[in-house]
Amino acid sequence: MLKMRKFLVLFLVMLLSFTLVACNGSSKTSSENSKSDPSTKVNENGEIDTSEFVTITMMALGDKPTNGQLEKVMEQVNAKLKEKTNAHLEIKWIEWADYMTKYNLTLASGEPVDLIITATDWLDAWGNAQKGAFMDITELLPTYAPQTWGEVSEENWEQTKYEDKIVMIPEDSYTQWVNHGFFYRTDWAKEFGITEPIKDFETLGEYFQGIVDNKPGVIPWDTPGTNVTTAWGYTTSYSDAIELPIATGVFPIYWAQSYDEAYNVMSPVFEDTFVDYAKLMKDWADKGYWRADVLNYKGDTRALFQAGKTGADQHHTETFSGLRTQMDLKQPGSEIDMFAWSDTRDNLISMSVTHGATAVGAHSENPERALMVYDLLRNDEEIYKLFNYGIEGVQYEIADGKRVRPEGYDETKDSFASNFWGGRVDKFEIPSSDKWEGVSEMYAEYDKIKKPYPYGRFVFDSTPVEAELAALSQVTAQMVPAIAFGKAGDPEKAVKDLRNRLEAAGYEKVLKEIQKQMDEYKKLVEGN
Amino acid sequence: MENTARRNIDFSTIIVRIIGYGFIGLFALCCLLPFVLIVSSSLSSEKAIMESGFALWPKEFSTFAYEIVFRNPKLVIGSYMVTMGITIVGTALGLFIVAMTGYALQRSDFLYRNKISFYIYFTTLFSGGLVPFYLLVTQYLDLKDNYLAVLLPGLLSPFLIIMMKAFTKSIPYEITESAKMDGAGDFTIFLRLILPMSTPALATIGLFIALGYWNEWYNSMLFLSPNMDYRPLQLFLYNVITSADFIRNSAAASNVAPQEIPLETMKMATAVVATGPVILFYPFIQKYFIQGITIGAVKG
Repeated sequence: MLKMRKFLVLFLVMLLSFTLVACNGSSKTSSENSKSDPSTKVNENGEIDTSEFVTITMMALGDKPTNGQLEKVMEQVNAKLKEKTNAHLEIKWIEWADYMTKYNLTLASGEPVDLIITATDWLDAWGNAQKGAFMDITELLPTYAPQTWGEVSEENWEQTKYEDKIVMIPEDSYTQWVNHGFFYRTDWAKEFGITEPIKDFETLGEYFQGIVDNKPGVIPWDTPGTNVTTAWGYTTSYSDAIELPIATGVFPIYWAQSYDEAYNVMSPVFEDTFVDYAKLMKDWADKGYWRADVLNYKGDTRALFQAGKTGADQHHTETFSGLRTQMDLKQPGSEIDMFAWSDTRDNLISMSVTHGATAVGAHSENPERALMVYDLLRNDEEIYKLFNYGIEGVQYEIADGKRVRPEGYDETKDSFASNFWGGRVDKFEIPSSDKWEGVSEMYAEYDKIKKPYPYGRFVFDSTPVEAELAALSQVTAQMVPAIAFGKAGDPEKAVKDLRNRLEAAGYEKVLKEIQKQMDEYKKLVEGN
Repeated sequence: MENTARRNIDFSTIIVRIIGYGFIGLFALCCLLPFVLIVSSSLSSEKAIMESGFALWPKEFSTFAYEIVFRNPKLVIGSYMVTMGITIVGTALGLFIVAMTGYALQRSDFLYRNKISFYIYFTTLFSGGLVPFYLLVTQYLDLKDNYLAVLLPGLLSPFLIIMMKAFTKSIPYEITESAKMDGAGDFTIFLRLILPMSTPALATIGLFIALGYWNEWYNSMLFLSPNMDYRPLQLFLYNVITSADFIRNSAAASNVAPQEIPLETMKMATAVVATGPVILFYPFIQKYFIQGITIGAVKG
């Protein structure tokens, strides 16, 4: 008996100490500069003193090129950096193998990294800011990164603030569109009598039917059953709802009413459009627009599309622009176009300006110099091109204003990538010949209708509803794919089932919690 | 003698044998077929797999997947060397330490054996978690980018210690005692008497440790950064696949030219590259393995 009690006490003490350790981890954003004597100082004339040579480390995501080209490029970059800031840049790589774990671990370990590539939507920047991994650079920016400071607009700086302090520099001058849609063959569409670009699901259905009728052996959309993007697509095409950055498994069930009511939380699943969607997908499944065993299928739609074996592929605009030129090689004479979800009713939200960003590590020993280096990487054309594309003549050549591979270029020996996701700018980008020219027209179209991303600074605290979110994810994983591919039986009943099970899993509670936090966020945004 | 045995086989024995052999044969086939499938698909062209799926015999023969994996032969050989080095050193050291711990913990004249056993056993139930582990290795032990970071955590495992403890318990204490009478010290007893008598257990545990080191990639992923020239094989192969997957799926990587990468066949090729040596090596120690696995079942 006594032994048992001893054991229990021991156990409780250990449990307690674990929790204490865990809580300790989330200390405040450290803004104190612990070191007493910074290597970079501003003297009384307002000049920056860089007499001490320092090494700046940058944490980057990507696989380090193993062919020796990186070292050659970095040698040139560093020669320029030394000349201009008396600093040396060294990249610390986080590889794609389990990058999330390693990224967060490295930040949690308190290693003194100077520059950190981060992102709010795919690299947990807010979570790390909460844990104090990033330094407050509000005061340092104007002095040490003056060009960047001037270039980024006031409202974009707002998007990078955590507790009113700037904790990262946004990659806001680099255009990329990751809005999704269907890619289809216009040459085939014309055969079927569809002459206008496809702009809605009805016409897409006609196109698919055309393939069933006229192209034996071709499956209209030969996709694995894990791709439920049509649920996004239908919602975006037939309602004004916009997605909230809250993950609930395969399909996000919490959206905002519309851009004008961006702080009103709702769920498209509980609207009539979702029933219409389920009906349409059932109809499409019955007509054979995808294979019968779609839910277990694991094929590669893109390869099949390029092989002319399927009539559609589904992904975002960036992919499309690369695919266009690929198709010219693989299926000469074919023409493809993209039906973007926003084509139906211009429901398009631009990407967060912090889809890519650069932060300064909380334990950085040389934050001033790090910012100076960043300022050059972003604003010095020569360094920018070296760092992003490599050496002219080895990695690329410019022909007719486009980047092409030099003669004798060997991917194995000569390829180079710096994986600089954190501060690319359009002004120095040289379009690649692999990219389709028309993409700029598409961008221009998008620019006309896009609305700014409203949730750049929304940091959802999921702790009060963790269990419910897990349960909701379970439900969506089980039921949404079946509905999205018309395999759930009677569509009306299937949607009703889904709604009931979501409610049982805690739908209302989570909704209230999101709404509560959204109201606070609204105050924060409109208060400024 | 043999003749009588043959004469005495009755009907039920035949039935049992048919069922037994049939079942084992089927089971063996179930184990073999996936492997054949892997080898065959690693040798077919990606196109054939795309169009007609996996097959037991390659439809279109191609070694392109291997060409990509072995694109940089120096790296592959280097990572083989690293993995082999870690496996050999780790297995030898690990075996020695596990055997010693196991033996010491079952000696009835070892006063604190229960407390220490509990301490070892307790860590299997409650561990510090990933972040403290990472902090310990990188900040306190300062083993980042050091092969020791992969070697050390694999040396001792509670499960293997418990196995070893159970086995050495089956060696009568009288042996230890009589050796003591003759003037042997504890270490001599362990080296000269206990170790030679535990070969089956050592072979089994050695195989477990060796496989663990051979397949290890997680600690390597955490602690060995690409700044090192050569990293363990599994991590190297894993990176070949993830980077290929990434290049193909990511258009955000606009600076990377999209290129032909036979992902499916490449996965298979890496599997073959990773398991190949183990398969060559296994038959030689298989007999110990079969013996060793019966630890504690009949002996005692």
